Amino acid sequence: MLKLYMRLGIPVLVVCIVAAAGLAVTYAVTKDRIAAQDREAKARSLRIVLADATTFAEIDAKKDAAAYEKAASAAGDTRVDGLYRALDGSGAQVGWGVLVAPRGYGGPISMAVGVDRNGKVTGATIISMNETPGLGTKVLTQVDWLPRFVGLDTATGADSVRKVDTIMGATKTSRGVRNGVGAAAAIYADVLKSMEGGAGQ
Amino acid sequence: MKQWMKVLKNGLSFENPLTVLMIGLCSVLAVSSRAEGSFFMGVAVMFVLVMSNVIIAAIRHLIPEEVRIPIFIVIIASFVTIVDLVMKAYLPSVYSFLGVWIPLIVVNCIVLGRAEAFAYHNRVWLSVADGIGMGLGYTIIITALAAFRELFGGGQIVFLKMTLVTLPAFYRPPNILLLFPGAFMLFGLIVAGSQALNRRMAAKQAAAHASVKEAM
Repeated sequence: MLKLYMRLGIPVLVVCIVAAAGLAVTYAVTKDRIAAQDREAKARSLRIVLADATTFAEIDAKKDAAAYEKAASAAGDTRVDGLYRALDGSGAQVGWGVLVAPRGYGGPISMAVGVDRNGKVTGATIISMNETPGLGTKVLTQVDWLPRFVGLDTATGADSVRKVDTIMGATKTSRGVRNGVGAAAAIYADVLKSMEGGAGQ
Repeated sequence: MKQWMKVLKNGLSFENPLTVLMIGLCSVLAVSSRAEGSFFMGVAVMFVLVMSNVIIAAIRHLIPEEVRIPIFIVIIASFVTIVDLVMKAYLPSVYSFLGVWIPLIVVNCIVLGRAEAFAYHNRVWLSVADGIGMGLGYTIIITALAAFRELFGGGQIVFLKMTLVTLPAFYRPPNILLLFPGAFMLFGLIVAGSQALNRRMAAKQAAAHASVKEAM
């Protein structure tokens, strides 16, 4: 019996060890590059939504776990991917960046929303999404649509967001994006507003 | 060499994984809405196919038959993970479009099917030909389907941020081409077309064979 286990087990074990070694090498080679790509994609979208800011300091999810918890409950169904202090060249805070992932038609829509210190939305953009090409992607190809969120007051968050019409043929996607901006507004009102004057100042 | 070419051509025509064997279709219907993504999906599948075929053919005498499937899966999954990591690092835009379909290559019937049906019984050299042939057969069909859907359903083809073709503005792209029903219908037409082509090729080969025999 033992002999049978050895005969079958050893080849599987050897293959697994070699495979694991190969993967470890690939992971080590690509790790930094993947992290850099990820950071770059986030920073690029944050710069789009907050043109005044030059650097973005992420609010630490470990140190400020309470903030993230409150943000998650303010966002409701929408996933919260990150909260950022937006700083200008001199290091003064000019606003907040919020990464959220509301549900769209083809899964979560990863997006960035900027809010200035007066609580006005400065912009919203999409980092990545899996929406139907030609339909859901209209939220990007109709270039005048996303800018309609600019200037919305977060104090009336959910209500003012609903004033932005959905796009015909992209109802679910535009509703998702609206929910994303609404969630960011709620996060600002419930969490970020009271954190003003924190470490970034 | 002659046999090598024959194996390679088989993957493109008489045993094309998509139009004849009809395996690995879900990924085709799902990602063939953009030519760029489909092309890289094809390249990824081809890489995994060739590499897993090579390894499996090379160690086929050492793999006990009872545990061959787990071993195949470990080998295939490793190469898929390598593709996954490399693509995430160097082609992030393509990666975000393909999303879950890259990891899903592990369970793509083409790869496991070729490991089981070909690489486990053939020499390394021929298994390379099989991998390339099957991979090319997959890539060509999926990219052609995607290029058609993107062009006539979206109005233009964009490849690595370059716009290759744009249709004039008066053409109003029918959205159905970009949705799943459109993919099904177009794929049916592609299958019909390639069947006709294969039949004609087979008839020609049979005729050539017959005339050789007559001459002898």
